[in-house]
Amino acid sequence: MPDMIFLALSAVVVASAVFALEAKELIYGTIGLGVSLVGVAGLFMLLGAEYLAMFQVAVYVGAVVVLILFTIMLVRRESGRIVDEEEPASFGSVGIYVAALVALAVAGAVILLAPVSPVAPEFYQVQLQDLGRSLAASYGVALVILGLVIGAAVVGGLTLVKIDREEKPSGTTE
Amino acid sequence: MEPLSSYIILSSAMLGIGIYGLVSKRNAIRLLFSIELIVNAANINFVAFARYSNPPILSGWNIVFYSIAAAAMEATVGLALILVAFRLNGTIDIRKLNRLRG
Repeated sequence: MPDMIFLALSAVVVASAVFALEAKELIYGTIGLGVSLVGVAGLFMLLGAEYLAMFQVAVYVGAVVVLILFTIMLVRRESGRIVDEEEPASFGSVGIYVAALVALAVAGAVILLAPVSPVAPEFYQVQLQDLGRSLAASYGVALVILGLVIGAAVVGGLTLVKIDREEKPSGTTE
Repeated sequence: MEPLSSYIILSSAMLGIGIYGLVSKRNAIRLLFSIELIVNAANINFVAFARYSNPPILSGWNIVFYSIAAAAMEATVGLALILVAFRLNGTIDIRKLNRLRG
Protein backbone atom coordinates (compact mmCIF):
# COMPACT_ATOMS: atom_id res chain seq x y z
CA MET A 1 0.00 0.00 0.00
CA PRO A 2 2.95 2.45 -0.07
CA ASP A 3 1.90 3.58 -3.52
CA MET A 4 -1.28 5.10 -2.15
CA ILE A 5 0.65 6.75 0.67
CA PHE A 6 3.12 8.20 -1.82
CA LEU A 7 0.36 9.50 -4.05
CA ALA A 8 -1.50 11.07 -1.14
CA LEU A 9 1.65 12.71 0.20
CA SER A 10 2.62 14.10 -3.21
CA ALA A 11 -0.87 15.47 -3.71
CA VAL A 12 -0.70 17.18 -0.32
CA VAL A 13 2.79 18.56 -1.02
CA VAL A 14 1.99 19.97 -4.47
CA ALA A 15 -1.46 21.29 -3.60
CA SER A 16 -0.34 23.09 -0.48
CA ALA A 17 2.72 24.48 -2.27
CA VAL A 18 0.41 26.00 -4.90
CA PHE A 19 -1.86 27.25 -2.14
CA ALA A 20 1.11 28.85 -0.36
CA LEU A 21 1.83 30.94 -3.44
CA GLU A 22 -1.74 31.67 -4.45
CA ALA A 23 -3.54 32.30 -1.15
CA LYS A 24 -5.01 35.76 -0.82
CA GLU A 25 -3.84 36.24 2.76
CA LEU A 26 -0.13 35.88 3.38
CA ILE A 27 -0.83 34.24 6.75
CA TYR A 28 -2.79 31.42 5.13
CA GLY A 29 -0.04 31.09 2.55
CA THR A 30 2.50 30.59 5.32
CA ILE A 31 0.36 27.86 6.85
CA GLY A 32 0.13 26.24 3.42
CA LEU A 33 3.91 26.29 3.20
CA GLY A 34 4.07 24.58 6.59
CA VAL A 35 1.70 21.83 5.43
CA SER A 36 3.79 21.33 2.31
CA LEU A 37 6.96 20.99 4.37
CA VAL A 38 5.28 18.47 6.67
CA GLY A 39 4.37 16.51 3.54
CA VAL A 40 8.02 16.53 2.50
CA ALA A 41 8.88 15.18 5.96
CA GLY A 42 6.40 12.39 5.33
CA LEU A 43 8.18 11.60 2.05
CA PHE A 44 11.47 11.43 3.95
CA MET A 45 9.88 8.94 6.31
CA LEU A 46 8.63 6.92 3.36
CA LEU A 47 12.23 6.83 2.11
CA GLY A 48 13.47 5.45 5.41
CA ALA A 49 15.04 8.62 6.76
CA GLU A 50 13.06 9.05 9.97
CA TYR A 51 15.71 11.18 11.60
CA LEU A 52 15.70 13.64 8.69
CA ALA A 53 11.91 13.74 8.82
CA MET A 54 11.98 14.77 12.46
CA PHE A 55 14.72 17.29 11.72
CA GLN A 56 12.69 18.72 8.87
CA VAL A 57 9.59 19.12 11.03
CA ALA A 58 11.56 20.66 13.89
CA VAL A 59 13.58 23.11 11.82
CA TYR A 60 11.22 24.04 9.01
CA VAL A 61 7.82 23.91 10.64
CA GLY A 62 9.03 24.67 14.15
CA ALA A 63 11.45 27.45 13.30
CA VAL A 64 11.18 28.80 9.76
CA VAL A 65 7.41 28.87 9.34
CA VAL A 66 6.88 30.22 12.85
CA LEU A 67 9.54 32.87 12.19
CA ILE A 68 7.77 33.97 9.01
CA LEU A 69 4.42 34.01 10.82
CA PHE A 70 5.83 36.13 13.62
CA THR A 71 7.44 38.52 11.16
CA ILE A 72 4.21 39.00 9.24
CA MET A 73 2.08 39.45 12.33
CA LEU A 74 4.47 41.68 14.28
CA VAL A 75 5.31 44.13 11.53
CA ARG A 76 2.01 43.95 9.73
CA ARG A 77 1.00 47.50 10.51
CA GLU A 78 4.33 49.03 11.32
CA SER A 79 3.87 52.79 11.18
CA GLY A 80 0.45 52.53 9.63
CA ARG A 81 1.42 50.61 6.53
CA ILE A 82 0.53 47.04 5.77
CA VAL A 83 3.35 44.66 5.00
CA ASP A 84 1.37 42.08 3.09
CA GLU A 85 -0.63 44.16 0.70
CA GLU A 86 0.02 43.14 -2.87
CA GLU A 87 -1.26 43.80 -6.32
CA PRO A 88 -2.17 41.11 -8.79
CA ALA A 89 0.80 39.62 -10.58
CA SER A 90 1.47 40.93 -14.03
CA PHE A 91 3.77 38.14 -15.20
CA GLY A 92 1.58 35.26 -14.06
CA SER A 93 1.17 33.53 -17.41
CA VAL A 94 4.86 33.90 -18.29
CA GLY A 95 5.75 32.35 -14.93
CA ILE A 96 3.48 29.38 -15.53
CA TYR A 97 5.01 28.76 -18.97
CA VAL A 98 8.59 29.02 -17.72
CA ALA A 99 7.93 26.79 -14.71
CA ALA A 100 6.10 24.13 -16.72
CA LEU A 101 8.86 24.12 -19.32
CA VAL A 102 11.60 23.67 -16.72
CA ALA A 103 9.72 20.98 -14.82
CA LEU A 104 8.86 19.05 -18.00
CA ALA A 105 12.44 19.35 -19.27
CA VAL A 106 13.96 18.05 -16.03
CA ALA A 107 11.51 15.20 -15.55
CA GLY A 108 11.55 14.23 -19.22
CA ALA A 109 15.34 14.28 -19.47
CA VAL A 110 15.76 12.12 -16.38
CA ILE A 111 13.13 9.61 -17.46
CA LEU A 112 14.36 9.41 -21.04
CA LEU A 113 17.97 8.99 -19.99
CA ALA A 114 17.15 6.24 -17.50
CA PRO A 115 14.39 4.10 -18.98
CA VAL A 116 14.95 1.40 -16.39
CA SER A 117 14.23 3.17 -13.17
CA PRO A 118 16.18 1.58 -10.31
CA VAL A 119 14.26 -0.26 -7.64
CA ALA A 120 15.05 0.38 -4.03
CA PRO A 121 17.07 -2.29 -2.23
CA GLU A 122 14.89 -4.11 0.24
CA PHE A 123 15.21 -4.45 4.00
CA TYR A 124 17.28 -1.38 4.48
CA GLN A 125 17.28 0.57 7.69
CA VAL A 126 19.57 3.51 8.35
CA GLN A 127 21.28 3.03 11.65
CA LEU A 128 21.29 6.28 13.56
CA GLN A 129 24.72 5.41 14.90
CA ASP A 130 26.12 5.27 11.36
CA LEU A 131 24.60 8.63 10.55
CA GLY A 132 26.03 10.21 13.66
CA ARG A 133 29.40 8.60 13.09
CA SER A 134 29.67 9.87 9.51
CA LEU A 135 28.38 13.28 10.58
CA ALA A 136 31.00 13.62 13.29
CA ALA A 137 33.90 11.77 11.68
CA SER A 138 33.73 12.23 7.90
CA TYR A 139 32.01 15.61 7.90
CA GLY A 140 33.17 17.01 11.22
CA VAL A 141 34.87 20.06 9.72
CA ALA A 142 31.79 20.89 7.67
CA LEU A 143 29.66 20.62 10.82
CA VAL A 144 31.86 23.10 12.70
CA ILE A 145 31.90 25.51 9.77
CA LEU A 146 28.13 25.22 9.50
CA GLY A 147 27.81 26.18 13.15
CA LEU A 148 30.05 29.19 12.64
CA VAL A 149 28.09 30.31 9.57
CA ILE A 150 24.79 29.95 11.41
CA GLY A 151 26.15 32.08 14.24
CA ALA A 152 27.33 34.72 11.79
CA ALA A 153 23.94 34.70 10.04
CA VAL A 154 22.05 35.17 13.31
CA VAL A 155 24.32 38.03 14.35
CA GLY A 156 23.97 39.60 10.89
CA GLY A 157 20.19 39.33 10.99
CA LEU A 158 20.02 40.92 14.41
CA THR A 159 22.33 43.73 13.29
CA LEU A 160 20.18 44.36 10.23
CA VAL A 161 16.88 44.69 12.05
CA LYS A 162 18.20 46.56 15.08
CA ILE A 163 16.84 50.10 15.46
CA ASP A 164 19.41 52.56 16.73
CA ARG A 165 17.56 54.80 19.16
CA GLU A 166 20.68 56.83 19.82
CA GLU A 167 21.14 57.79 16.21
CA LYS A 168 17.86 59.64 16.05
CA PRO A 169 18.58 63.30 15.37
CA SER A 170 16.65 64.58 18.37
CA GLY A 171 19.05 67.35 19.30
CA THR A 172 20.08 68.35 15.82
CA THR A 173 18.92 71.29 13.84
CA GLU A 174 16.25 69.33 11.98
CA MET B 1 7.89 0.65 -3.35
CA GLU B 2 7.44 3.07 -6.21
CA PRO B 3 10.25 3.62 -8.73
CA LEU B 4 12.80 6.38 -8.42
CA SER B 5 11.27 8.30 -11.34
CA SER B 6 8.13 9.12 -9.35
CA TYR B 7 10.21 10.97 -6.80
CA ILE B 8 12.04 12.79 -9.61
CA ILE B 9 8.73 13.85 -11.15
CA LEU B 10 7.50 15.10 -7.77
CA SER B 11 10.64 17.12 -7.16
CA SER B 12 10.51 18.59 -10.68
CA ALA B 13 6.94 19.64 -9.98
CA MET B 14 8.06 21.38 -6.80
CA LEU B 15 10.90 23.03 -8.69
CA GLY B 16 8.40 24.23 -11.28
CA ILE B 17 6.09 25.66 -8.63
CA GLY B 18 9.04 27.44 -7.02
CA ILE B 19 10.20 28.94 -10.31
CA TYR B 20 6.65 30.05 -11.08
CA GLY B 21 6.55 31.86 -7.75
CA LEU B 22 9.94 33.47 -8.32
CA VAL B 23 8.95 34.75 -11.76
CA SER B 24 5.42 35.93 -11.17
CA LYS B 25 5.01 36.97 -7.53
CA ARG B 26 5.61 40.52 -6.38
CA ASN B 27 5.66 40.10 -2.62
CA ALA B 28 9.16 39.48 -1.26
CA ILE B 29 7.92 37.02 1.39
CA ARG B 30 6.37 34.88 -1.33
CA LEU B 31 9.74 34.83 -3.07
CA LEU B 32 11.12 33.41 0.19
CA PHE B 33 8.41 30.72 0.04
CA SER B 34 9.48 29.87 -3.51
CA ILE B 35 13.13 29.53 -2.50
CA GLU B 36 12.15 27.18 0.34
CA LEU B 37 10.12 25.07 -2.11
CA ILE B 38 13.08 24.80 -4.51
CA VAL B 39 15.44 23.80 -1.69
CA ASN B 40 12.95 21.14 -0.61
CA ALA B 41 12.76 19.78 -4.15
CA ALA B 42 16.53 19.36 -4.08
CA ASN B 43 16.33 17.67 -0.66
CA ILE B 44 13.78 15.14 -1.91
CA ASN B 45 16.12 14.30 -4.76
CA PHE B 46 19.07 13.82 -2.43
CA VAL B 47 17.20 11.50 -0.08
CA ALA B 48 15.61 9.52 -2.92
CA PHE B 49 18.89 8.98 -4.77
CA ALA B 50 20.63 8.01 -1.55
CA ARG B 51 17.88 5.48 -0.78
CA TYR B 52 17.79 3.96 -4.26
CA SER B 53 21.50 3.51 -4.79
CA ASN B 54 22.71 0.02 -4.05
CA PRO B 55 24.07 -0.17 -1.37
CA PRO B 56 22.42 2.94 0.04
CA ILE B 57 24.86 5.74 0.81
CA LEU B 58 24.76 7.93 3.88
CA SER B 59 26.20 11.04 2.23
CA GLY B 60 22.79 11.95 0.83
CA TRP B 61 21.34 12.08 4.32
CA ASN B 62 24.28 14.16 5.53
CA ILE B 63 23.94 16.70 2.74
CA VAL B 64 20.24 17.10 3.43
CA PHE B 65 21.08 17.64 7.09
CA TYR B 66 23.37 20.53 6.14
CA SER B 67 20.94 21.79 3.53
CA ILE B 68 18.07 22.09 6.01
CA ALA B 69 20.27 24.02 8.43
CA ALA B 70 21.49 26.34 5.67
CA ALA B 71 17.94 26.95 4.45
CA ALA B 72 16.80 27.93 7.94
CA MET B 73 19.72 30.34 8.10
CA GLU B 74 18.85 31.77 4.71
CA ALA B 75 15.26 32.35 5.81
CA THR B 76 16.50 34.25 8.86
CA VAL B 77 18.72 36.58 6.86
CA GLY B 78 16.12 36.95 4.12
CA LEU B 79 13.45 38.01 6.59
CA ALA B 80 15.85 40.51 8.15
CA LEU B 81 16.57 41.98 4.72
CA ILE B 82 12.85 42.16 3.94
CA LEU B 83 12.24 43.98 7.22
CA VAL B 84 14.98 46.52 6.45
CA ALA B 85 13.61 47.06 2.95
CA PHE B 86 10.14 47.57 4.39
CA ARG B 87 11.40 50.14 6.87
CA LEU B 88 13.36 52.03 4.24
CA ASN B 89 10.81 51.98 1.43
CA GLY B 90 7.44 51.30 3.03
CA THR B 91 6.78 48.39 0.67
CA ILE B 92 8.09 44.92 -0.05
CA ASP B 93 6.73 44.85 -3.57
CA ILE B 94 9.86 43.91 -5.48
CA ARG B 95 8.71 45.74 -8.60
CA LYS B 96 8.89 48.96 -6.62
CA LEU B 97 12.22 48.25 -4.90
CA ASN B 98 14.14 49.43 -7.94
CA ARG B 99 16.25 52.18 -6.45
CA LEU B 100 19.43 50.31 -7.38
CA ARG B 101 18.41 50.00 -11.02
CA GLY B 102 21.08 51.45 -13.28
